Amino acid sequence: MTDDLQRQIDELTGVHKGLKNVVERDDGIVVSGLLPFEASADGLETITESFEIELTIPRDFPETLPRARETGGRIASDYEHRNPSGTLCLAVPIEQRRIFLENPTLLGFVNRLVIPYLYGYCYFKTHERHPFDEAAHGHEGILRHYVDTLGLRDELSALTVISFLLEHGYRGHHDCPCGSGTRVRDCHGPTLMALHQTHNQQSLRGDFAAIFSLCFKQFENQQISFPKPLRLQLLRLLKTFKD
Amino acid sequence: MTMDIKKYSKFLEQVASEIDIPPGKYQDAVDRYEAVGRWLEGGEYPGCQGELLIYVQGSFRYGTVTKPMRDGVECRYDIDLVSELPADINLTTPQALKSMVGDRLREHGTYKRLLDPEGGRCWTLEYAEQDGVGFHLDVLPAVSDHRGLLGTAIAITNKKGETYTWSASDPRGYGAWFDSKNAVAFNRILLEQKQEIQRRAPLVFASINKVPNQLVRTPLQRSIQLMKRHRDLRFNHEDRIAYGPISVIITTLAAHLYGNETDVYSALAGIVRKLQGHAALVENRAIDGSLAAMGLIQRRPDGTWYIGNPVNPAENFADRWHEDNHARARAFFGWVDALQKDLLNILDESSPRLLKEHLGRALGTAAVATHFDLLIPAAVALDTPPRIHISSPAKPWRDE
Repeated sequence: MTDDLQRQIDELTGVHKGLKNVVERDDGIVVSGLLPFEASADGLETITESFEIELTIPRDFPETLPRARETGGRIASDYEHRNPSGTLCLAVPIEQRRIFLENPTLLGFVNRLVIPYLYGYCYFKTHERHPFDEAAHGHEGILRHYVDTLGLRDELSALTVISFLLEHGYRGHHDCPCGSGTRVRDCHGPTLMALHQTHNQQSLRGDFAAIFSLCFKQFENQQISFPKPLRLQLLRLLKTFKD
Repeated sequence: MTMDIKKYSKFLEQVASEIDIPPGKYQDAVDRYEAVGRWLEGGEYPGCQGELLIYVQGSFRYGTVTKPMRDGVECRYDIDLVSELPADINLTTPQALKSMVGDRLREHGTYKRLLDPEGGRCWTLEYAEQDGVGFHLDVLPAVSDHRGLLGTAIAITNKKGETYTWSASDPRGYGAWFDSKNAVAFNRILLEQKQEIQRRAPLVFASINKVPNQLVRTPLQRSIQLMKRHRDLRFNHEDRIAYGPISVIITTLAAHLYGNETDVYSALAGIVRKLQGHAALVENRAIDGSLAAMGLIQRRPDGTWYIGNPVNPAENFADRWHEDNHARARAFFGWVDALQKDLLNILDESSPRLLKEHLGRALGTAAVATHFDLLIPAAVALDTPPRIHISSPAKPWRDE
């Protein structure tokens, strides 16, 4: 364990004193125990609760973010926002990274992602609706995130944007991948810059694969066709996946 | 371990509230069925003169709702709405009555879309989760039936193939009877519970006066909810499900046997003990004199069983108990023993892990886990938990 990670764990367990079990395992470091909190949100009630939580911090943290699991059996397996593997679906991957990077420590991860999730769960149990809205499941949720945050027309525009980011990163003087005909810096510049800075290679590839597979399904069903420049770009990018 | 009964009772109460309908969802359901009621009231019904009566019956009315479980998964609530038309039973037919109500529902754009194909006794509106509620609303066409025992008796329609018949019912009479059994406990806790409900759902109810009586729960109602949930889990199996005791039997017997105990544990223990006192009837042996005198569960000379509807003794809730070598009767008393073992004797369990597992199997793992802390507080001292204010949070998602 690096000194920095040790400091982060100390900071986390200093604030959340119930998370007192720290064990080193093959797949990373596991911090577990009770996570009591008193949380409020704008215009919503204060909720005081406590959950048994297990955080697995992967070896390549913070490149890969921790996985959180509720181990007390309270969040039932039919609750929608639990992954098939039992981990909590805090947000779509890019959104998790964005929020994490605002305060990129384990404590930030717990306070900004895990506790809001648990608050949302408790709120849902009482009111039968999600206080902070909810993302569509699976690839669809990832696609919608791009379409909504960038104000795009359709899935093909989202594929164009993610392909652009994957191949070039941020390029202010290129034509904007949204198809407006203006340059990136005069169009979606700030949002693309933010996405570029939030992503790492792994998360970018994950989102590309998700959006591509959705578009490819539609292509197979002859619902969309890929314009030639995009088709060539996709071939170039897919080749790098093979390598 | 010897556990504090008071603590355990509080725990049972919390688990029951967990499987109950949440106040916000209750309010949604009331809004929807009142709207359906207003729409039905606005209709023109040939041959009808006077006011149409609309009221709920079943567990919604008695305050004994539980989230239904099928195949171990919680599913939608059923709400029964009686639509009593001011028609003379001698001047109309069950078929005409049924279709008048169906036609009126179909005149409404939304209800037309939500309407299922015609059912045996009712018209069902399917509210999906997308509409923000998630329940079935069964609308039962009915007319007043002066031949009944009480002024509240009605006749409802029955459709079998293409043949329609009347059958007798009295949901308002039954509701009033249930209330009378529940009244002492209800009045005792009314104010305190309304305060608690308002405190917990301030966005749904602006003041205590706005909290409806229908959300108050006595130890009797809580006991019935726990018994129904235990029944749902125990008979959650294809070849057993048909033999599980029906809700009206559980509700009726529990209400008869409730002795105004002030906590859920004592109420449940009293009901279960007195139910067990009837078990000898399976072997056709005599039961305790005071229980026999109440005549709640009877064995007739021909071997058949009788559990009467308290407002219409001609109706026998146990009319199928003798079938398949008394399978339903045996299942009933087996279940009563299981209630004793799973919910009442459980306090002897010495391992917290096993206690949690057993209670989870008896009442549902999520509901038990949520309140298990009341029984065995987790080891960490919860001085003051960290305070977090949430701003611009993420939306939860799910990987596939």
